[in-house]
Order: sequence, then structure tokens, then C-alpha cells
Amino acid sequence: MRLIVHNMLTCNIKGVVNKFPLRIEAEKVIKKEVDFNPDFLRHMLAKIEWKALVDGARSMGYTELPDQLESEESYSFLKKFHHALLELHLEEGSLVCQETGRKFPVEKGVPNMLLHEDEV
Amino acid sequence: MKATLAPSSLISLPRHKVSSLRSPSLLIQSQRPSSALMTTMKTASRGSVAVTAAATSSVEALREGIAEFYNETSGLWEEIWGDHMHHGFYDPDSSVQLSDSGHREAQIRMIEESLRFAGVTEEEKKIKRVVDVGCGIGGSSRYIASKFGAECVGITLSPVQAKRANDLAAAQSLSHKVSFQVADALEQPFEDGMFDLVWSMESGEHMPDKAKFVKELVRVAAPGGRIIIVTWCHRNLSQGEEALQPWEQNLLDRICKTFYLPAWCSTSDYVNLLQSLSLQDIKCADWSENVAPFWPAVIRTALTWKGLVSLLRSGMKSIKGALTMPLMIEGYKKGD
Repeated sequence: MRLIVHNMLTCNIKGVVNKFPLRIEAEKVIKKEVDFNPDFLRHMLAKIEWKALVDGARSMGYTELPDQLESEESYSFLKKFHHALLELHLEEGSLVCQETGRKFPVEKGVPNMLLHEDEV
Repeated sequence: MKATLAPSSLISLPRHKVSSLRSPSLLIQSQRPSSALMTTMKTASRGSVAVTAAATSSVEALREGIAEFYNETSGLWEEIWGDHMHHGFYDPDSSVQLSDSGHREAQIRMIEESLRFAGVTEEEKKIKRVVDVGCGIGGSSRYIASKFGAECVGITLSPVQAKRANDLAAAQSLSHKVSFQVADALEQPFEDGMFDLVWSMESGEHMPDKAKFVKELVRVAAPGGRIIIVTWCHRNLSQGEEALQPWEQNLLDRICKTFYLPAWCSTSDYVNLLQSLSLQDIKCADWSENVAPFWPAVIRTALTWKGLVSLLRSGMKSIKGALTMPLMIEGYKKGD
């Protein structure tokens, strides 16, 4: 699971208000290279929840992102953004609901967001 | 199995329906009006009452059954048919003697025809984020992401499918655009209004609660966004009919058990649900004739040497599925 996806996932347990973002508990993180595409990245900047990305990257061991979104989109900034957003993969771990503590497992890079009967 | 009745108003079973919908007002266009539609809300609520009567534990059992079915059979399907797990779209009365690549083209045509039907091709720039509900191994997602340069997330109940879908995306250098998760279409893990295009290609059949399914599709669709549903339906019921004929129900039940299809409804049921959620520009069409050549082709591929060997290797669920395929043909034929 890459952070571009984590930035979209919410906890869908009934009644939960604080659904996003899910906290990441990383057990195994791998890095996979992806082609650098500045246009795509600039387009994504407008849609990304920045704090969720920064916190998610930290949980996966990457601390290079600035806390605040920079107004000038320098090359070096875009490279860091690219790396955090697309090249860090959570292979094994959990996504944790901040409100209930419920853990959604991530196995072989695939998050499992299925709810139990009593959560619906 | 012989039909004991052949009323002229009996259309066909099952019907393959396409619905294209936008939010929010109420213009309904029916491409092929059925004779005698049941348009009362009673029909729609009947459909949903019937399906929600199932105990929740059986819903979990169904979910597990679907997941296991696709865990077990996806590999085999992909080996023989490639990465699209839906019907091909053919010209009616076309010769069934197509090559394998002809059928694969037909599956891609199905995607294109669906997009075209929904008027999406003219609005390519507006499609930025797509959700593929019941994504299989991601054929539609990768195709649509490539076509529109859009971000696409797919959800499936099968962990095997999700992993395979991600691997295929990586192999096609689409990892930055498409990704796949295990999630329930009835409880999508996304915020409201997230997607410009909500895509459900032949997955609606697996949903035990059609009302909930449609509600979720609408919830995650962005205002002004588009929902495209391609699904198997039974024929619309005639005036005064409360349910399908017993022989029809019997045929459906046999198909359903094998493929984990919990309940069927008609196109009208879907249209009513969508109307009740205030969707605009609702269109539907019956593509039964355009997909009928598909199952004989699937059976033929299964009967080749490669097909038989693969079936035997892949386990009981695949074999049961293969044995049920002639029932699908029966279903389409009964229409005439």
C-alpha cells in the first residue's frame, strides 16, 4: 500500500466520526522505484491531505517531508513528495482507526478494510 | 427444461443491463421500454425486503464464499481469458466462431460501449478519480486509468485478486495510478463524493442488499459525477406479477448457488433505487443479445485440452462453475 492510497482510505465503522486519517503501524516497508512525473505530482498536490501524508511517511520511516506544504514547488521538494507518495510501500502492518483503535491489517501490500458484523 | 408458458410479454432471463446515471435531477431515459413495467415503489422495496431478510451471519458466509470462489478461480480464468472478468460485447447474430483474441477484444469493447453509453468519452478531462467496485484482477481499472490518465482504486473481497491486480499494475507501470484493496462494496472505505466515475462491471450480482449497494455507489460519487453499472438482472415483472415463474426461479437458483449470486432483481428495481436517491439522467439498456455469444465461447475454451487440464488442477469450485455454464446459455435462450 502506498501513501497515495492511504490518503484516501477511511475507517467505515458505523458511528465513527474521526474516520481519517488511519494511523499506520508499519512492520515491513519496502521501496519500489516509480517514474518521476512532475505534472502528475503537481496535480496531486492539490488533492493530498498534507498532514496525513507527513505522518504516514514518518510511520514508514521517512522524515524528509516538510510539516507545511511549500508554496514553491522546487525540484527537490517534488522529489521528496514523489518518494513519499509513490515509492514507499507498506507490505505488512496495520491501519489503525484513531477513534476506536480498530486495526485493519495490511498483508502482502493489500489493506483489508472488511468490517465485522458488529461494526456495520 | 421446457417453458410451460410462453407469453408474448416474457422478455428474457437473465437480462444484461447497463445503467448510466448522474446526480441529481430526474430525467429517465429508457433505451428499450419493457412491456408493462412495475413502477411502484412497492417493487423496489419488495426487492430490498426480500434480500435484507437474510441473517447477517449468512451475509458474512456469502462474503467468505465469494472471496474463496475468486481466490480459487481467478488464476484459471486469467490463464485462459486474460484480465477482464466480464462478458464480451458482440454484434447481435455475430458468428460465434471467434478466435480467443476476438473474445478478448469483445471484453474491451464491453468497457468502451459502457463508457460510450454513459456519454463519458466526451468528458474525458473531467474524470480524475475512479472507483472500480468489484474490480476482479483490475482489468477495467487499468484500462480506464490508461485511457483517461485518471487515478483508480479498485475494491474486491478476494485478497488473491487484489494482490494479483496490484502486481499487474506494477508490471504495466501503472502503480502510481491504480491500486487495489480488499473491501466490501456495501461498506466502502472512502469519504463521500470522492469519485468522478463510479464503475461497477458485473459485480452487482454478488450484492445481497441491492439498496445498500446502490446507496454506497451514490454516496462515494462526486456531485456531477457518473455511475456506470453493468449487471445481470432478471426480466422486469409484468403488471400483476409478484415474482418470477417457478421454473425461472429454479433456473436462477442453480446458477446462483455456483457463482455465489445471492439475489437477483430487475432493471426496474435498480432504476427505482436510483430515482429514490435523486439521480439524474438515468438510462438503461438491455444487452442480452450482445452478450449471449459469450458463454458458448467460454465453454469451448474450457473444453480444449488446456482448459480441461487447468480445470482439474484448480479445484472443485472451478469445476462446479464450469458445469454450471450451460445453465447460463439456457437462461439467455429462454428469452426467445
